Amino acid sequence: MSVRELSDVPSFPAIYAAALTPRPGVRRSATLPSEAYRVRRVRIDPERAAAFDHLMGGPATDLVHPGVLHVLAFPVTLALMARPTFPAPLLGLVHLRNSLLQHRPVRVGELVDVEASVRNLRPHRKGRTFEAVTTIRVDGEIIATDVSTYLARGGGAAEAERAGAESAAAGASRTAEAPRREFVPPVPTGRWTLGADTGRRYAEVSGDANPIHLSALSARAFGFPRAIAHGMHTASRAFTEARVDLRRPLRWDVEFDAPVTLPGTVLVGFEPEGASDGGAGAVTRCVGWRPGRDQKGPRRCFAVSVTTLG
Amino acid sequence: MTDTAPAAPHRDGAASDSPVRDAFVLGGNRIPFARSGGAYAGVSAQDLLTAALDGLVARFGLQDERLGVVAGGAVLKRAADLNLTRESALGTPLSPRTPAIDLSKACATGLETVVHASNAIRLGQIDSAIACGVDSASDAPIEVSDRLRRILHRVSAAKTPAQRLRALAAIRPADLAPQPPRNAEARTGLSMGEHQALTAARWGITRQAQEELALASHRSLAAAYDSGLLDDLVSGYRGLARDENLRPDSTPEKLASLKPVFGVRSPEVAEPTMTAATSTPLSDGASAVLLGSREWAQERGLAPLARLVDARSAAVDFVHGEEGLLMAPAYAVPELLDANGLTLADLDLVEIHEAFAATVLATLAAWESEEFGRERLGRDGAFGTVDRSRLNIAGSSLAAGHPFAATGGRIVATLAKLLHARAVETGRTQRGLVSICAAGGQGTVALLESDGKA
Repeated sequence: MSVRELSDVPSFPAIYAAALTPRPGVRRSATLPSEAYRVRRVRIDPERAAAFDHLMGGPATDLVHPGVLHVLAFPVTLALMARPTFPAPLLGLVHLRNSLLQHRPVRVGELVDVEASVRNLRPHRKGRTFEAVTTIRVDGEIIATDVSTYLARGGGAAEAERAGAESAAAGASRTAEAPRREFVPPVPTGRWTLGADTGRRYAEVSGDANPIHLSALSARAFGFPRAIAHGMHTASRAFTEARVDLRRPLRWDVEFDAPVTLPGTVLVGFEPEGASDGGAGAVTRCVGWRPGRDQKGPRRCFAVSVTTLG
Repeated sequence: MTDTAPAAPHRDGAASDSPVRDAFVLGGNRIPFARSGGAYAGVSAQDLLTAALDGLVARFGLQDERLGVVAGGAVLKRAADLNLTRESALGTPLSPRTPAIDLSKACATGLETVVHASNAIRLGQIDSAIACGVDSASDAPIEVSDRLRRILHRVSAAKTPAQRLRALAAIRPADLAPQPPRNAEARTGLSMGEHQALTAARWGITRQAQEELALASHRSLAAAYDSGLLDDLVSGYRGLARDENLRPDSTPEKLASLKPVFGVRSPEVAEPTMTAATSTPLSDGASAVLLGSREWAQERGLAPLARLVDARSAAVDFVHGEEGLLMAPAYAVPELLDANGLTLADLDLVEIHEAFAATVLATLAAWESEEFGRERLGRDGAFGTVDRSRLNIAGSSLAAGHPFAATGGRIVATLAKLLHARAVETGRTQRGLVSICAAGGQGTVALLESDGKA
């Protein structure tokens, strides 16, 4: 894989502006770019890390919240995904899953190298999915890897036909599982009351000014009836409330389901820390859901698990 | 206390060598508790605490006395009230050379001030103390938002008018909204009532059982006033002679007609069983307890009502749902009784603060549960049963109201007097327990004992 060196972390507004600019005559590719983008010596700004901690309801710590690593690397990934030839348009991508593995604690003020690439374009019953992978390195040593799985809606069936028989079979079996299982919420341990400004406050600390999160008006422009909370915001808050020992290597897994509309209320249920499935560490789990109302049942919005390793 | 040798560590713990002496509750004084926005609207927490202290000073002739300490606190406290207890004490005829300390532990604040002061007496550091607490929900502090505060600090740190203007320009209309104290646990966003609703559901506490407990509380407190028990424990203030929340004429029918208030906003949280009648109202009030060594009491001709035997505190993990928010005392009490070689059956009186009727009932249910005893307390079986005829016999917070930090002092003074009267009457030592739950998943409990001797 070739690596293109960027002189600095791209700015979010520039990327979104570029993504919105029509490019007549440019055809989207059928395959993911094989090129990786890299930015060297990015400083983890202590003030921004503190603002992030505070928004998540936690104390400003000298060891950074892994959500800060995600937002640090995200613009680099975004720049890759905003290329005019990228197989899917940037606005409209749905974040399905996120998995961050952190090998050692990261301190505020550290200089890290960020590298972003994309891989595994696969058919999905609602379109296609792919993974954006970012690695955070210090002196060539990988200290964290962040894998975000995105869904590009539409074009899936056609793509699936074109894909090999094996992939098509995989896609079909997934469709067979499709009827949504009824979500039975656990006993709640908390309630998050998210105001209309939730998306703007996350944009302030993360820099991620995606219009679908900012206001009802900007969200409507992209086909959402209301603004929706940024998935990594709810996931980061759940991480903070999991009260993880940041000195230990850890794994932070998130699955996103129904969007959290703003303003809105999410009930969350934590499970007390238990042994992880592999038995190697301790895991804390949390699910968040929209309470049911009238005839509508509760909808699961996210499931977060944090595993401390060793 | 004997101290012939320099302070050598005591290894054998023999009673005669013990560096610890007894600390006694000598009396108390409180003002009637008012409902928020009621009789004490318009007066401050300092006014209320001064009134309670003033009454105690008058009752025990403490004018110009230099006491060991006045330990006090408030839960809803203005930043400007950093020395609330000292300032209140200075407003009384106590010697201005009496030191003071402010303590804070949510609803356990009042009991913690008693524990703090009596520990200092027991160690011989001081001979006398007042433990006190106050809260005014009517005059709760209102703050500016976090954003506005940070912006204003930036403005004041700015060196040039241009910098100042730039900092001020960051203010948005939403930043200007005043911030009253949150009625929710910081980490869960659930109100205390909703947390209790979850615990009530977990233990299957019925609405009817809660209402029976609330009715008993009102009847017992009314009877305590009528019998004169509270005559030397309460002094009227601003036209109020009895607790404003007390409803001696309440009926089961009236209580049954009330709408549930907790678990309603999200029916999924829990089956709503808790009403305004089975939850303590926001209240205003203050209380004070006089403590001293036996010698100090004797010199002044004061009867030591009850000895403060021991105390414990506990905390639970409610954030991740391992235990209910207000269940810490269910753990602290077994620890306290075990340490003193006692069981629930050895207690003559039990005071469990009625944050909610369901709090008391869930605590009792946990102690009666074999599973809780084995799995949570690590015992062979259930911890035990509280004889309901010994529980909150002079009423508790559901009837009196609950000005957070004032509740501990109300309970300790009342219990000490009850224990003393019963010890005199029966000629037997009487033991009493105080159990108080607090926000943040905490609890403080204490053991009092009276031999009835003057």
